[in-house]
Amino acid sequence: MNAPVEAYIIVAAILFFIGVVGVIARRNPLIQLMSIELLFNSANLALVTFARSWANNAGHIFAFLVITVAAAEAAIGLAIVVIVFRKTTFVDVDEVATLKG
Amino acid sequence: MQDYPLLLLIWLLPLFGAVLLWAFGPQLKTWAGPIGSALVGVPFIAALTLWGAATTGTGAHQTLFAWLPQFVFGLQLDRISLVWTMIITGVGFLIHVYSIGYMAGEKAFARFFAYLNFFIFAMLTLVLSDNFVGMLVGWGLVGLASYLLIGYYFERPTAVAASKKAFVINVVGDIGILYAVFVIVAKIGAIGYGDVFAHIAKFSPGELFAVCLGLFIGCAAKSAQVPLHTWLPDAMEGPTPVSALIHAATMVTAGVYLIARCAPLWNASSDARVLVGSIGALTALTGAILGCAQWDIKRILAYSTMSQIGYMIMGVGVGAYDAGILHFLTHAFFKAQLFLGAGIIIHNLANQQDVRLMGGLRKKMPFAFAAMTIGVLSICGIPGFSGYFSKDAVLNGTLAHGHPVMWAVGVLTAGLTAYYMFRMLFVTFLGAYRGDVDPSELGLRHPELAGTANPHAADDEHGHGHAHAPAWLMSGPVALLMIPTVLIGWLDFGGESSPWGQFFAPVFGKFEPVAGTLPDGLTGLIVFVLIAAGFTVAYMRYGNPQALLDAIPRLRAETVRMPSALTHAFYFDAAIDALFVKPSIALGGFFSRVIDPHVIDAGVREASISANWLGHLFRSFQTGLVRAYALALAFGAACFAIYYVWIGAGR
Repeated sequence: MNAPVEAYIIVAAILFFIGVVGVIARRNPLIQLMSIELLFNSANLALVTFARSWANNAGHIFAFLVITVAAAEAAIGLAIVVIVFRKTTFVDVDEVATLKG
Repeated sequence: MQDYPLLLLIWLLPLFGAVLLWAFGPQLKTWAGPIGSALVGVPFIAALTLWGAATTGTGAHQTLFAWLPQFVFGLQLDRISLVWTMIITGVGFLIHVYSIGYMAGEKAFARFFAYLNFFIFAMLTLVLSDNFVGMLVGWGLVGLASYLLIGYYFERPTAVAASKKAFVINVVGDIGILYAVFVIVAKIGAIGYGDVFAHIAKFSPGELFAVCLGLFIGCAAKSAQVPLHTWLPDAMEGPTPVSALIHAATMVTAGVYLIARCAPLWNASSDARVLVGSIGALTALTGAILGCAQWDIKRILAYSTMSQIGYMIMGVGVGAYDAGILHFLTHAFFKAQLFLGAGIIIHNLANQQDVRLMGGLRKKMPFAFAAMTIGVLSICGIPGFSGYFSKDAVLNGTLAHGHPVMWAVGVLTAGLTAYYMFRMLFVTFLGAYRGDVDPSELGLRHPELAGTANPHAADDEHGHGHAHAPAWLMSGPVALLMIPTVLIGWLDFGGESSPWGQFFAPVFGKFEPVAGTLPDGLTGLIVFVLIAAGFTVAYMRYGNPQALLDAIPRLRAETVRMPSALTHAFYFDAAIDALFVKPSIALGGFFSRVIDPHVIDAGVREASISANWLGHLFRSFQTGLVRAYALALAFGAACFAIYYVWIGAGR
């Protein structure tokens, strides 16, 4: 239980990197949403780690805030994915480029 | 200071008439003429009743309003403005009455009288103002009135061109006066005549000359002095009563008024006196020479007007103010008479103005012949007629002020005047009527040779000759004008002790002649000899029985052989064209061909093109690919991270 702070931060960094690669490299919107969840949770991990190590509860509170935002984000993101799927019948974010200038 | 509200009446009645006739002209119909005349006649009588007040002290005065505390506007009727007011309203009234007959049947009868009343108002503003700014306002307004009346026949392109020319040249003069007023306000800080003349010592000699020069540029433009005279012969495009009133009797003498009014300035600057006197003498001679070469009766009179104003300007310029004003007074009468006489001829010959196509009118129009003869005798300066006294006074004045060259030019001009005026008289009235002669027999078919042949003679459709008003409407004013034409000069009989000399003694003071004057009467004698010579030459060429018999071939020969320098009026128009008009047009062309498309338009165009280009640039960033955005976001976040971790941490 008393692993050093660096270990938690390294785990958080690995999670964040996986999340970024997932968002950028994958074209399936569901995978991307899951990768975004990874990003959120890596941030949560970092917040909680620092909160514990500095004995400051602000980090915990921020973590709860992030969880709330993540839930909302997932709801909106999934709704968009469903609507796009209804219209186009395929699931590939690169095909959804109607906002191209 | 006692106020004279009657001055307001004198000043504003003609304006009221102008507004009334302008607004209700179609309803008033032929009543426009009598109403317009009455609204000029009443101010004349009102001005007469102020004679006593005007000739005591600084004259009758009425304050109008204070523009700024030290810039108070007012009306002032003193001895100088009294003379002008009398002529403007008196001769103006007669010419209004004459116009009722002359303009009868015109489509725009009321418009003519509205303009004429407006002119009277403007001219009264000019002479009644007690300050430079009010004078300048009147100065501009008479230019406008002149423009409107020259262009009265606005469906005729030559009339429109002439009115534009007159206006533009007059505005050049207005700018000169404006400049002088700026200098006056800057140095003295007042605009009233009395205030300014009381502080002349504040001017340095250079500034004083600059003020005089600025004022004189205005005078030269308004009074048709060389080289700003070219508009006056063209101004004859206006109806003949207009030529008589504005372009002979009143408006063109505004320059004489201004110089006489600003006598203290000229008294203080001998350079200005020499300049103005020389220009006046030059104008007198130029006008007389050109008058010898004209065939249009109104143009002959126009050049003689120019020449006579040259005398006046020469007189007031050298300092003989009362002589110059006297010549204005006599000229107003005899020139109005000549123009109105010519108007009777033109009216009865259905707008024929070319003297070559007249001839023999003595029997057809004896009254016009009598009127014109009296006018010619007066303008030539035959002893006993009014022109003799005033011309003599001007010439003696130039000599008494020490300008023998100007005197010589003036004397020579007097001889020329006799020649061209008698030439006009003989060609017009003696011999046989040539109106039914084929114009080509007179050399008229070659416009480039015919010079000033009237281009709009018989084919005019303005209704002259169709509707005839009672003949007395035209002959009555001319008959009345005969009296002063003959007699008014006697006011000056007896020199300094004469009524005229006494009248202006309080204004211009006493003057000690410089050495070298001629004995009394010698100038008159020399002038008389030259007049006799001019008359003789004119008689030999145009008046003797043999010349009258073969008038047609003689006139033809003269038409064809006329030197081109004379038919082109010494190329003044061409010179102004080459020096100012062509360069202005070239400059305008340069701006329209180069600056406008390649600088102004190009600037606007390039601004819009660059906005378009920027839009294209940013548009290429907008791929619509979510993953590309995410990559950019991650890259940006990485940059922040790198900054804070490595670079920011070092601080």
